[in-house]
Order: sequence, then C-alpha cells, then structure tokens
Amino acid sequence: MEECCDPGQLFAMTKLNSPMGKNLWFDGEFLYSVTIDNATYSLFPQATPFQLPLKKCSVVGNGGILKKSGCGKQIDQADFVMRCNLPPLSSEYSKDVGSKTQLVTANPSIIQKRFQNLLWSRKAFVDSVKVYNRSYIYMPAFSMKTGTGPSLRVYYTLEDFGAKQAVLFANPNFLRDIGKFWKSKGIHAKRLSTGLFLVSAALGLCEEVTIYGFWPFSVDLHGKFISHHYYDNVLPDSGFHAMPEEFLQLWFLHKSGVLRMQLEPCEDPLIQSSA
Amino acid sequence: MGYTDPSSSRDLLGNRTLFFIFICAFAVVTLLQQILYGRNYLKRYFEFYEGPLEYNSTKCLELRQDIIEVKVLSMVKQTELFDRWKSLQMCKWEMNVTEANLFKSTLSRCCNAPAFLFTTQKNTPLGTKLKYEVDTSGIFHINQEIFKMFPKDMPYHRSQFKKCAVVGNGGILKNSRCGREIDSADFVFRCNLPPISEKYFTDVGVKTDVVTVNPSIITERFHRLEKWRKPFYDVLQVYENASVLLPAFYNTRNTDVSIRVKYVLDDFESQQAVYYFHPQYLINVSRYWLGQGVRAKRISTGLILVTAALELCEEVHLFGFWAFPMNPSGIFITHHYYDNVKPRPGFHAMPSEIFNFLHMHSKGILRVHTGTCSCC
Repeated sequence: MEECCDPGQLFAMTKLNSPMGKNLWFDGEFLYSVTIDNATYSLFPQATPFQLPLKKCSVVGNGGILKKSGCGKQIDQADFVMRCNLPPLSSEYSKDVGSKTQLVTANPSIIQKRFQNLLWSRKAFVDSVKVYNRSYIYMPAFSMKTGTGPSLRVYYTLEDFGAKQAVLFANPNFLRDIGKFWKSKGIHAKRLSTGLFLVSAALGLCEEVTIYGFWPFSVDLHGKFISHHYYDNVLPDSGFHAMPEEFLQLWFLHKSGVLRMQLEPCEDPLIQSSA
Repeated sequence: MGYTDPSSSRDLLGNRTLFFIFICAFAVVTLLQQILYGRNYLKRYFEFYEGPLEYNSTKCLELRQDIIEVKVLSMVKQTELFDRWKSLQMCKWEMNVTEANLFKSTLSRCCNAPAFLFTTQKNTPLGTKLKYEVDTSGIFHINQEIFKMFPKDMPYHRSQFKKCAVVGNGGILKNSRCGREIDSADFVFRCNLPPISEKYFTDVGVKTDVVTVNPSIITERFHRLEKWRKPFYDVLQVYENASVLLPAFYNTRNTDVSIRVKYVLDDFESQQAVYYFHPQYLINVSRYWLGQGVRAKRISTGLILVTAALELCEEVHLFGFWAFPMNPSGIFITHHYYDNVKPRPGFHAMPSEIFNFLHMHSKGILRVHTGTCSCC
C-alpha cells in the first residue's frame, strides 16, 4: 500500500504536495482540472498534520452490523478513530460505535442535501459537527465538479465560527492511485466507497488497523436481518459502489492478517448470556 | 548746441503735466471707489459678526426667496446658486410647521412610510407574489421561510422621533466636526455601510439606528457571503444595535444576498434586526420625485431615507448631502468623506436631488447642513 500511493505524503492536500499553480485533475470527472490559486493554496496545511506512524487505528463503517454490537469501548480504545460520512454519534449509539473521532469524512452531497450547500443558514451544520470534537473533517473537494464549492464552504464556515474541527481536503491524485490499485485487484465499480478509501489510507498511516461496521449484506453471520446502516435503513443507489466485491478484498486482507475485521459483537452481555 | 533744445524741453514739461493730471484723476477715482465699496464691505463685515439673522427678518425672507425662485437647476449658474446658498447661511433656520405638515401629508398620500417602508407580515402576507421594483417581469413568491423573517408590523410609526439625522456620505462632512451634533439626534440614518471609525467620528458621529447596505457591496467585498461570513458580521457589529436595511426586492440579483444577511446575523446570534425595503414603497417614492424633476435611472438611497425620515420624524436634519466637486465656498472636496471614488455616471441624479433639498431647506421643511458645526 505504501509503495503504490504514499498516504503519509499524499493523503490530504498540503502546501508541500500541492504548490501554487499546480494543475489538479479531478479523479471523479472526465478531463476536468483546476489550477491551485493563491486563495485555495492558503486553505491547505503545511504538511499532513498527523504524528506518523499512528499506532492503533479503528476505522468505523456505518453498517447495520454495528447495531447492538457493544463495540463502542473497543473502538474508543484505539489511538486514532476514523469514521465515514458524518455519522450520528448521539448517546443512543455510543455503546455500539463509540464517541471518539480523530478523522471523519464528509461527502459533499450530504452538505448539499442536509445543509443546503451552506449557502443559507450555517449554524445547524456547525452544531451538528460538534460531536466530533477536535477532529479533522476529510472532504473530497477535488473529485467532482459539484463538490468543490460545498467543501470549501465547510472550511469557511468552521473558520468563521472558530470551531474545533479542521478541514482536510482529499488529494485527487491519492484517490486515483488507490482506485487504480483496487481495480487491479478486481473491484469493478464506478467509484470506490469512502470506507475502502479510508481503510486503504489507514493501512498506510497506522501500524495496526481494526475495522468495524464493514458488512454489506442484509443478514448477519447468524442469519438475522439487519438494517443497512446502524442508524437507518436507507439503501444506496444501486450500481454506484460495488460493496460485496470490496468486502471480499477486505476479507482477504483480514485472512492474511494485514488488518483485523470485527464482525461479531464485541461484548454484548445479552448475546453472551443467550449463548 | 545740439543737446540743449529749449523747445523739446518745454514740450516735455507739457507732457509731464498732462501725465500728472491723469495720475491724479485716477487716484481720486480709486480713492472714491475704495471709500464707497469699503463702507459696503465694512457693513457686510459687521453684519456677519452680528451673529445669525433672525429667521423672520426681511433680509432672510429675501435670501430664502432667492433660492426658491430658482425653479430648475439649469436656470442659474452653479456658482450663483452656491453664492445664494452661502448668503442664506447667515440666517437662522426654523421649521415652517405649515409647510412641513403640507409636505408630510403629500408624502403620506403617495408613499406612507409608517405602513409600507419595510416588508412586514402585515403588508406582505404569506403567499404574496411580490413584484420587483425594476425587474418588472420578476415575481418573488413569499414562502414560509421568508415570511418568518419579516417583522410582524412596521417598527416605527408616524412622527415617532423628534429630531432625526440622515447622514449622507458626501466629502463635505470631512473636517465638519458635526459628529456630536449628529449623535445628539434621536434617530440616525446612515447609507451604505459607511465607516464610522475613530478616524471619522468627530466629523460623522457614531450613533446609528438604521444603516442601509447595498447588495453590490456584499457581492464585491464579501463574495456574496458564499465564503467567509465573519468579516461581514464584524463590519455590521460596528453599528452596535442598528437595524440593517436592504433593497432585497429591488431586482432579482439582490434577493439572495439580502436574505443571506439575515441568516448571517441569526447564525452569529446578533441582536440587530434586518429589514427589507418594500418594492412598492420604492416605486412610489421614485414616482413622486420624478414629478419633482429628479430624473435618474434610480434615486439614491439617501433620497429614499430622507423621504422616509420626513414621515417618521418631526424634524429632519441632513448631513453630508452635497454632490458637487466643491463646497459652497468653491473649495474642492472629495466625493465621499472617506474616499474619492466617483460613482457610475448617469446612474443617480445627485445635483438635482440636492437642489430639491436646498429648496426644502428654504421652505423650512428640513434642514441641510453644509458648513462646520459650532457645537463643542
């Protein structure tokens, strides 16, 4: 993983890896690029702002399998917790998914749908990210044309309010390299899921990776029906992501011991007593 | 001897006498002139130092008549108008209650600021299809979201305030030391986010009850509020509790940025109110002034505020309204008190607006301040 993509350097847009005037090709568009100007350049941090290498990392997917898993404590024990797509972390879920966050991704489409692109009132957004405390919000600003505006606006908004969270912009070159890497392993989808991007990045950034909530099927290991996400059962658009194929690849990694995948409940007394 | 020619010497003497007589005559005439004009000058000098003349003195009636006589701006030379205005300054100003009331009742029939100045929940109910002022084909549908932003009713009523100051941004305010007099008014209107920092406050004061914001400023200086918003919020905070007034429904381009201002202030939990000019009020005011000879693409914010103030206040004082490149004494001044950026030509008809104010001043309807303030 380090060989192909160098996450330590290229994970996010930084002043070091993206000098002014550099031409950036969007990884989610066909032949569309943007040149980094002074205004955009000033939004980047100097270098990747983590103490590398990170030791124990938890990558938390949003699969329904996390529901009633009781994995919260175990997730929080890691040094670095990554989450996908601004998931809810309210108290009713913290037992299963934990509460600690160091990095959370945000899809521009969520900003668009839930916060009207941050063009009108912005307080609702600022309040909603308060649960992530002092974490980084990782945004693919340069993947799709429509994502740039909302992503930059997240940055402006958080700075205006003096929020604790900081924004990191995903590096399209890194995302493209990861995409190529997995394509060569046989994942055929329009686009990789955020989860797989995060796991790939974690493998490059951390010494030890445990992943939770990665389970794309509608029944769990014991044949019980589960919801799509741990917080709702809204199914995604079909044909965009190839979740089962991604899962298979992660399963291979688990088998070969590169990462640890948590599928069973961690310490649920209810299950334990019934067993 | 060739060089002693008596005849030439005599001739010279004759010439000299003539020359002498001529000089004497000239001196006498100049002296007479000096005496005559000098007395006049002295008289004037004394007049000036007798202090301001009484409002009802015959001299003042004449001087006011001199200005009212000028029916259209092009009737006299600008310098002539300036001179008449300058002479009028030695008269005290008093409000002419009958004239003022007459004018105010005209305004209440045409425009009715106490009910229609802002869009309110009362005059713009939910579901109204609001017509824009200039984009005549444009219609804005008042939905729940926008309706909630409007105040229940107009926050001000007729003649609520005793003394109001409307502060224009003219360069005439520079070094006027009018700050304290402006701040002594009960209600102060300002136009277009003017600077009132320490550098300016002795001349322009700080008290602000209503400040207008031109959406073009938001577009140019604050990226339409689509990027950072704190800088804009910080600028508004300078005016403390002043209400922010925007022409949101002037044209379609203004609406989004104007509505965003409300969101910004709400997001930062500011106490400042946001109001929007009612487009029908703007149409009526423009129509009224067009009838008075103000022919322009658009009347200035200043004129709209003065018109509104005349209905909301008993006594209206204008500061910084002087749209000429020199002050009444002929000394060149900057365009604004804070910069010298000239406006787009042909957009506003400022001289014509000012001319109307001078007329109204002479009739005792409002007071235009163009000199330095004596207080403090």
